[in-house]
Amino acid sequence: MHEFNWGLLIVVYLFLGGLSAGLFFAAGLANYLTVDDKPVYAKVARMGALLAPWPVAIGSGLLILDLGNWYRFYKLFLHFRWQSPMSIGSYLLTIFTLIAFVYLFAWLKEDERKWIFSKIPATWKQVHRLNVDISSWREKIAMVGFPFSIGVGIYTGVLLGAVSARPFWNTNLVAQMFLFSALSSGSAALLLAMLLDRKNPVEKHETKFLVTLDVVFISLELFIILPYIIHGQLSSQAVKDALTLILGGPYTVVFWVFFLFLGLLVPLAIEVYELFPSIFKGREFHGSRRMALTAAGLVLFGGFLLRYIFVYAGQVSSFHRMGLLR
Amino acid sequence: MAIKKKRYALVIDSRKCINCKACVVACKAENKVPVGNFRNRINEERKGEYPKLSINFEPEQCHHCADPSCVRVCPTGASWQRKDGIVLVNYDECIGCRYCMVACPYDARYFNEEEGVVDKCTFCSHRVDKGDIPACVETCPSKVRVFGDLEDPTARIHELLSTRRYRVKEPQTGNGPQLYYLL
Repeated sequence: MHEFNWGLLIVVYLFLGGLSAGLFFAAGLANYLTVDDKPVYAKVARMGALLAPWPVAIGSGLLILDLGNWYRFYKLFLHFRWQSPMSIGSYLLTIFTLIAFVYLFAWLKEDERKWIFSKIPATWKQVHRLNVDISSWREKIAMVGFPFSIGVGIYTGVLLGAVSARPFWNTNLVAQMFLFSALSSGSAALLLAMLLDRKNPVEKHETKFLVTLDVVFISLELFIILPYIIHGQLSSQAVKDALTLILGGPYTVVFWVFFLFLGLLVPLAIEVYELFPSIFKGREFHGSRRMALTAAGLVLFGGFLLRYIFVYAGQVSSFHRMGLLR
Repeated sequence: MAIKKKRYALVIDSRKCINCKACVVACKAENKVPVGNFRNRINEERKGEYPKLSINFEPEQCHHCADPSCVRVCPTGASWQRKDGIVLVNYDECIGCRYCMVACPYDARYFNEEEGVVDKCTFCSHRVDKGDIPACVETCPSKVRVFGDLEDPTARIHELLSTRRYRVKEPQTGNGPQLYYLL
C-alpha cells in the first residue's frame, strides 16, 4: 500500500551533494595547512578543488530530473520560504556550487586556464575578461566556502529530519549524521582520487593526512549513529517502532552488515591499523596503497548506503501504519 | 453584519460505515481523479478469530489540518491553505518534488503522473464555494459524513462535536487534523 515517493535519484543526489561538501571541506582545510609558510598539502588541495564542484552539479541535475515538472525548477528561485528546508537548501546548493566552481578556477594552472579560454570564440569579449589569475584568492574563497560546504552537508539531513510525520527521520541527530558522513565521504573520495592519479604519485604525508581526517570523521559519525539508536530506543513509541526497521525489520541486514560493519567499522579498522605504528610506536608511516584504496572505497560505499537506508526506511516509517510492519 | 470567519471540517461517524465505497467513486467522478489514484479511501481493520471477530471501517482523506506540515515544507508555496481552512495545491506553482507527500502524516496526497504535480482532496472547494457540500458527503448512503463550518453555532457539525465524544488521528504530529471521528 505504502509507496515510495522518493527513490534512487534522491539517494544518489543526497550522496553526491554530501560528497562535494566533503571534498570542498577537505580541500579547503589542506589549503590552510602550512609548515614554515609553505603549503605542505598543495596537491591535495588542488585535487579537491578540481573535483569538488562536479558531484553536486551532477546531483543537482538529477534532483531537477526527479521533479514532476523538471522545467519548473526555476520556480524554486522565485520564492523564499524559510520554513521549508528544501527552499533554503536550493539556495544553499546554488551558492555552494558557484563558490566551488570559482574555487576550481582559482586552482587552475596558467596553461590550463589559457587552454579553456582558447576554446571560447574570440568575439565573446565579456567572457574573455574573466581570464584572470585569481590564485591569490584561494584562501579567501576557501574561507567563504567553508560555511556553505557545511551548510550543504548538513542540509541534506535537515531535509529529512524536519519531517515530523516520519519518526525514523524526525530526530535532531540525522542532520549531524549526514554531515559527518558527507565529510568522511569527501576525504575518502579525495584519497581515492590521489591514489588513482598515476601521473602525480601520492606522497606518504598526503595519504596520512587524508587517512587521519577520515578517521576523525568516521569516529564522529559512529558516535552520532550509536546515540541515534539509543535515543530512539528511549524515545516515544512511534520512534521506537520506526527503529524496528533496522532492528529486525527489512533494513536490518543492509544497516548492520553492509553499512555499519563494511562501510564504517572495516574502513575505520584499516585506517587505524595503518596509522597506529606511526602514532604510537614512533615508526614511519608506510601507507599501503591497497589498504588505503580498500578503505576509501568502503567509506564511499557506506556513505551511499546510509542515504539509501534513510531515504527508504524513513518513508516506510509513519505514525499510523507501523503496526503493519510487525 | 461583520464578515464571519469560517473553518470547514468533517465529522465522520465511522460506525455507520458499511464500506460501500460510494464516497470513493463519487469523489473520482466529481474531481476526475486519474485511474489508480484516490483522494479518499476506507481503511479496514479486522480483529479476532472466528467466531469472535469484528471489522471496522474508517473513511479517511486529507485532514485539512490547522497547521499543515505539507504547506510548511513546500518550497514554492504551491501547497497553501485558504482562510476557511481548506488546504489546496496551486497546480501552476507545483514543481512535483513530492516533499509534501513525504511530510503528510496521513498519506493523503497522490502524485498525478500525467501532469507531474501533486494532488489531493479539496473538500470539493468548487462545490463548497457555491454553498453545496462535498461530493463524498452528499453521496454517502448511511450518512457517515457531516461536513460543516466549525464557526457556525447552528451547524449540525457543531452540535455533534458538542454532544458526542470524538477523536482525531495522530494529534501528536502537531498538524491539528480537522477530520473528527465520533466514538
